[in-house]
Amino acid sequence: MNVVSGREIYQVVWPRGRKMVEVTDIAPRLDKLDGKTIGELWDYLFRGDEIFPVLEEELGRRLPGVRFVRYDVFGSTHGAEEHKVLAELPDKLRRQEVDAVISGMAC
Amino acid sequence: MVRASAAAEGAGVPSVSLVCEGFLGQAASTAAGLGMPDLPTAAVPGHVDVQSPEELRRNVLTVTVDAVIRGLTESRPRASGSVAEPEARDIVLEGTFDEVNRFFYENEWSDGLPIVPPTRERVAEFLRFTDRAPDEALGVLLPDRRQATIWNVAVNGVMAGCRPEYMPVLVALVEAMADPHYGVEHSGNTPGAETLIVLDGPIVKELGFNYQQGALRDGFHANTTVGRFWRLYLRNVAGFLPHKTDKGTFGNTWRVVLAENDEVLHRIGWPSIAYDQGVTAPNAVTISRFTGGGVIVSVFGSTPEQMLPYLADALARQVGWELCFTVGLATGTQKPLLILSPILAETLARAGLTKQALQRELYRRARIPAWKFERLIGEWTNLVPGRPTLLDLVRAGKAPAVFAESEDPDRPVPVVCEPGDIMIAVSGDPLRTNAYCFAHNGMLGFPTTKPVALPRDWSRLLREARSR
Repeated sequence: MNVVSGREIYQVVWPRGRKMVEVTDIAPRLDKLDGKTIGELWDYLFRGDEIFPVLEEELGRRLPGVRFVRYDVFGSTHGAEEHKVLAELPDKLRRQEVDAVISGMAC
Repeated sequence: MVRASAAAEGAGVPSVSLVCEGFLGQAASTAAGLGMPDLPTAAVPGHVDVQSPEELRRNVLTVTVDAVIRGLTESRPRASGSVAEPEARDIVLEGTFDEVNRFFYENEWSDGLPIVPPTRERVAEFLRFTDRAPDEALGVLLPDRRQATIWNVAVNGVMAGCRPEYMPVLVALVEAMADPHYGVEHSGNTPGAETLIVLDGPIVKELGFNYQQGALRDGFHANTTVGRFWRLYLRNVAGFLPHKTDKGTFGNTWRVVLAENDEVLHRIGWPSIAYDQGVTAPNAVTISRFTGGGVIVSVFGSTPEQMLPYLADALARQVGWELCFTVGLATGTQKPLLILSPILAETLARAGLTKQALQRELYRRARIPAWKFERLIGEWTNLVPGRPTLLDLVRAGKAPAVFAESEDPDRPVPVVCEPGDIMIAVSGDPLRTNAYCFAHNGMLGFPTTKPVALPRDWSRLLREARSR
């Protein structure tokens, strides 16, 4: 602390920490969803069990040949098993030949 | 949910995240913290929990479906790059006390109370109380994914008004915060639970923590400022900000540190909370997030038979929707905390109850009807979807057998999975017959204990600090 013109002046430092994240590109989007396989990821909260069937119905109607892999194949993405479920996710997506993912619910 | 989307994107699979309208801002901040600011979302209007099935369907069909298709098929221009930020030791402002406080508040680095200006000189005083290098990393904290270091522990300790000699406690707290076991990333969830820090060991007295009357009251420098430090660190390094990444519907102010009464614990032969957690170091901190608590006033009786029904009843009443952490959402992670005043603990111990025996008695007695348990997790809240009965959950291997001892809906079932899930601390007014019970936020702030490492010349440093 310095005193300038009778005023106490503080030189203060930043209270935060360095960001340890590199901004990365998301995966390329698909040209179309027709005939693709869509994986459903759910945190088992906020009515995903009602919303995913509505999405399946409507997307199935609009997108010929689209296929869905239900959320129970992947396990809950929120809860005691979250770390394990997310660690296993890339392998499960590959084995299920998933082209795209719908992940819910943030409420 | 956004973390799951990021995991899929990292595996090369495009994703879209379903987000209720009021959570789009949090989703964007979380995505940025994960290094994927371009993660697409598909909004669901309003909040799904108050919509009829027909209304929900209409909202999904008219709003969400199109956004899902766009999110999976349309490329968006990449979000702008990161903004240059200061280095740890950079001077970010020269100014008066008022100017510093205004600057920190305007930059969201302060909780609204005046802070102590964090000058390099003041930070250096804190660094004397650790043997660790200032730039040593203690972990990386979500949602901002910022690096926790010894240096920024000291900076936030200064700001909170801590004394330099509290530094070993502050470092242990941040080590606990950074432990994945604790789950700091959940600290912005809507129940708004607040962390309680429990401190054990001789350091309680050495640093002047209050562990007697008014144990949870502000007004005691060490308890108050270390509690404030916790919340400032969550704000400045983890990155939890109300209206952004902290979505607590109501929230609480931060809690002062609860220091256990070491003397009484020794006298009655009960282990501390830290010891129960498996940490045998002389001094330790334990953190857990609790949703709320209530005082249990005037426990009457001189025997366990007289005292336990009231304590068990309070425990059963305090745990409500949080039962989804007992069974359902994260089975076995509900760890309520019962704080006994010393006179209550001594009376129970004098009757021959060890802490483990007390936990068994409370487990046996703190029960609610099965129908009520099921409604709390699956009907009144929908936190365990599909309204499974406890019998269903036991049959599916998702709950211990004790929850299906009969098919009678009125059968009493426990509020935790095991006796050891009931944490018991001893603190507060030594000669008043009150207790306190906290309900716990399960795996969204799981009890985590870390030893407090003292610097090599702790005794000398402490003597010097006391003489200042």
